[in-house]
Amino acid sequence: MGYSQCSTCTLRDIMKTSISEQLIMALKAAGVDFYVSVPCKLLAGQIQLLESDPSVSYLAVTREEEGFGICAGAHLGGSFPCILMQDSGLGNSVNAIKSLIQLFQIPIVMLMSYRGSPGEPVPAQAPMGWLTPELLRMMQIPVLHCHHEQDIEDIGVVVSHALVTQAPVAILIDFKLMGEEQ
Amino acid sequence: MNRYQLIESLVPILEDALVVCNIGIPSQELFSICDRDNHFYMLGSMGLCSSIGLGLSLTTKKSVVALEGDGSMLMNLGSLATIANRSPENFVLLVMDNGSYGSTGDQITYTSEATSLSMMARGAGCDNVIECAGIDTARVLGDTIEQRVSTVIVSKIDPGSRPLPVIPLHPIILRERFRSSINS
Repeated sequence: MGYSQCSTCTLRDIMKTSISEQLIMALKAAGVDFYVSVPCKLLAGQIQLLESDPSVSYLAVTREEEGFGICAGAHLGGSFPCILMQDSGLGNSVNAIKSLIQLFQIPIVMLMSYRGSPGEPVPAQAPMGWLTPELLRMMQIPVLHCHHEQDIEDIGVVVSHALVTQAPVAILIDFKLMGEEQ
Repeated sequence: MNRYQLIESLVPILEDALVVCNIGIPSQELFSICDRDNHFYMLGSMGLCSSIGLGLSLTTKKSVVALEGDGSMLMNLGSLATIANRSPENFVLLVMDNGSYGSTGDQITYTSEATSLSMMARGAGCDNVIECAGIDTARVLGDTIEQRVSTVIVSKIDPGSRPLPVIPLHPIILRERFRSSINS
């Protein structure tokens, strides 16, 4: 009833599943059950969903490196972990990923907002953003780069790849894709 | 009492716990004193011992003891805040505080000067923080595990390390036998 009062959006738009919901649903469907996060405004929707979801473990951490340590422990305990972070956090975590996650072959999903990508209003995010895809390649971390909503459909197969290879995988979410939800 | 002697005194109490041990000489000393499947020796990632222990304690019912060092704790102080707010009852963080970077040539850490890790843990919000002498640590740890209360223990010991070789086990073997001990 109230929906018709909105001139710029239709009922279909309002009922549409948000990008954040699609991302979390895809991760959960693929078996990810333990989540940590270092916040980003583009991840706020996903974090809010996880905070109120009793079917998964979720906690905020103070720094990405710490998050990788907690996720490693959680995997030893039998969980399948995911860290939500900005791509800038990759720079904070190189040694943790190499000498803990990859050394002990721990599957983990890195869901990363790609802050350096077009649409980003903060110039300071650009230098790390330029480096992010190349750094992931050099670190031998497979990447699903989500530019458009339909790319989210591939999350299941990428997450399974982490389990099969016992290794980290990264999902990069373009600023523009998440920015639409802000 | 130095770290080697402290670990010797702790080993009988750690038999039924899951132990995450700090990188470098602490792990080498534990391995040399008593190697068990329930020991996860960190081979890299200095600073993350308390975090690995926390993640483990959140996903298992068994008692988890993180054997941390003062230098590595200082690398990851935010972990104290996460532990204060999210640690379950089965997690004990035991900092073996010898005031030095024992694996790199005994350079002093700031805990040998003005810095107190137990006060930092309290400031982070940890409810149960016990600072004790090395000689009292085994008793304190035993009581803590029995009571199943999340606790930070700062054990004040002397510097000094044993010259020991690198642990000759492949990381995947360490991982798999540690996992088996969780499920046993």
